[in-house]
Amino acid sequence: MRITVNQQNVFVATGGKEFNPELPCVVFLHGSGLDHRCWALQARWFAFHGYSVFAPDFPGHSLSAGEPLTSIEAMADWLIDALETAGVEQLHLVGHSQGFLVALEAASRLKSRLLSLTAIGTAAAIPVNPALIETAREAPMKAADMMLQWGFGQATQMGYSAVPGVQPIAVGRQIMAANPLAEDLQACNDYTQGTVRAADIMCPTQVILAGQDRMTPYKTGLELAKLLNTEAIRIESGHMLPIEAPKACLNAMKQFFTRL
Amino acid sequence: MSKQNNRSSYLGADTIALHAGYQPEPEHGSRAVPIYQTTSYVFESVDAASALFNVEQGGHIYSRITNPTVAVLEQRVAALEGGTGAVCTASGMSALFVTFVSLCSAGDHIVSAGQIYGSTVTLLKHTLKRFNIDVSFVDINDSQAVAGAIQSNTKLVFCESIGNPGLEVSDLPAISDAAHQHGIPLVVDATFATPSLCRPLEHGADVVVHSLTKWIGGHGTAIGGAIVDGGKFDWAASGRFPTLTEPYEPFHGINFWEEFGPAALTMRIRAEAMRDFGAAMSPHNAFLLLQGIETLNLRMKQHVENARQLTEWLQQQENVAWVNHPDLESNPTHDVASKLFPNGAGSMLCFGVKGGRACGAAFIDALQLSSNLANVGDARTLVLHPASTTHSRLDDEAMIKAGIGPDMIRVSVGIESIRDICADFTQGLKAASKALQKQQEA
Repeated sequence: MRITVNQQNVFVATGGKEFNPELPCVVFLHGSGLDHRCWALQARWFAFHGYSVFAPDFPGHSLSAGEPLTSIEAMADWLIDALETAGVEQLHLVGHSQGFLVALEAASRLKSRLLSLTAIGTAAAIPVNPALIETAREAPMKAADMMLQWGFGQATQMGYSAVPGVQPIAVGRQIMAANPLAEDLQACNDYTQGTVRAADIMCPTQVILAGQDRMTPYKTGLELAKLLNTEAIRIESGHMLPIEAPKACLNAMKQFFTRL
Repeated sequence: MSKQNNRSSYLGADTIALHAGYQPEPEHGSRAVPIYQTTSYVFESVDAASALFNVEQGGHIYSRITNPTVAVLEQRVAALEGGTGAVCTASGMSALFVTFVSLCSAGDHIVSAGQIYGSTVTLLKHTLKRFNIDVSFVDINDSQAVAGAIQSNTKLVFCESIGNPGLEVSDLPAISDAAHQHGIPLVVDATFATPSLCRPLEHGADVVVHSLTKWIGGHGTAIGGAIVDGGKFDWAASGRFPTLTEPYEPFHGINFWEEFGPAALTMRIRAEAMRDFGAAMSPHNAFLLLQGIETLNLRMKQHVENARQLTEWLQQQENVAWVNHPDLESNPTHDVASKLFPNGAGSMLCFGVKGGRACGAAFIDALQLSSNLANVGDARTLVLHPASTTHSRLDDEAMIKAGIGPDMIRVSVGIESIRDICADFTQGLKAASKALQKQQEA
């Protein structure tokens, strides 16, 4: 669906069903340089199983207009505005990588409106090598290639795909080619409140980590799980978990949501 | 000349050809890709089955739509071409049909190169016409002609990277520029080139179609086709593709562009064309084609080298009237070929035997090593007389447009020892010479 947030036209994927703010809402937040499509194989399941799905493209990303936001805090503010626009009251937040930093920051604003928080392939802080940020500024495609090489695990690098006939690296590459990467990476690097925000989380949480993660290493994800006082689920995949291991990722989420 | 960086993998092409899409499965550790000779797949639960049918998760339902062995081939072809996805079909012709009808509906229009495979001409000119999809044939390397033929209902520009059998190389960057200026994608049949010699997506193409039967399979054992989605074309910005950008009722109103973006065409073809038209590749054929693809790069080097040597040899033969190969300066598209095909423009060549049709027939009938048959891209050398076979359904005008003369002999140069191919052709040329003598005496 399309909504207007701060005078900008924004695309929000709803999992193939009309958005209904009356249903329990699951909000999916994408990572650096990506868009709602990284949730294609999770969002649709939720939409057809009693939830409303709200998976926005952040401003300046893929189908959303506007300038890219330059801090995690600004993204969290924007998310709150977007949720207000859509009439979402209570919600579950799911974030991948940078998307989880936004979720953490938004959680501090949402307080009791937040029903649960899911972290996927991420950490409480995502420091980014300055050389990568510089490369993203000077030669975005080169930086995207570096991230795709680190971001996808061994099986995907060998051309395997969970969706028959689709090449996830090429899909990711086309999406990242048009999206603001340097701004996203800088925002990740600059965000320092993750540990504080994580300690304040009161709602149920789950942490799903990738065993082969080279972007937000598994051990930093374990530290996040400790901060959130929850167990971590390990899936043998690269950093791009929702795309690389969609079924395992969805199954973990389904089990968590069933327990809520 | 613009070169666009398309890639699906960070592995080298030789590694992709051997490994992409498959890793030894955990239960038995089969090193070769197993043949999943099955029609269907047991669902874990009713909910899991429902999720598969509703595109909520990837996986296999029925082998008409996907099959694990076929999927490995699809992953590999997509990776070799640098595409976001691929769908394999029962044949190259079904790949073309599926592509055309996935992008066009009744009332739409296609701009196509005139010099293309005879059956493709028939499909475009006669079969699709019955479904009210119209075509304009143009000189594809005339950008003005391409632009001039584009109408408000045009949905794609089509060409072959190396035309069959005229062997004119399509100037892909110029053609794609002309198409893109009108918000139209370029679809390229790259059968004669294979990704080993030219990757059209890097030169502006948006969709690549293959007959895998030919060089990619390479051994004349299995029929198959593939459609590769380049993933770059903005179907929404074009405004011409409701099949991709508007809700599709049979899947709860799914919008392929919004949902899958760079893989929208792949998913649409999978969801509709494979389900409804049923042009599925058999798993056994996929296995055979995978055996071929593993040595594609090695074979293409030998194919190209043999074609180069045979071309040179034919030019020196007294009763050869003319020789055509894109790497020859006399070929009108030689300059384009040298840019798009730095390692050689394939292993197809054409030549004319002095004395015309009868002498050409005598040449072919005298061959013993080379095979007279309706195929190309086999590891073995193949010959054919297009005017009486593959292009015989064309009228005279279309035949001329396709660059076919009555004396033309089409050669798909194999990877045998070149001296043996030349020896075989020597016998053929002797027979042709005798036929010419008889003609002159009569």
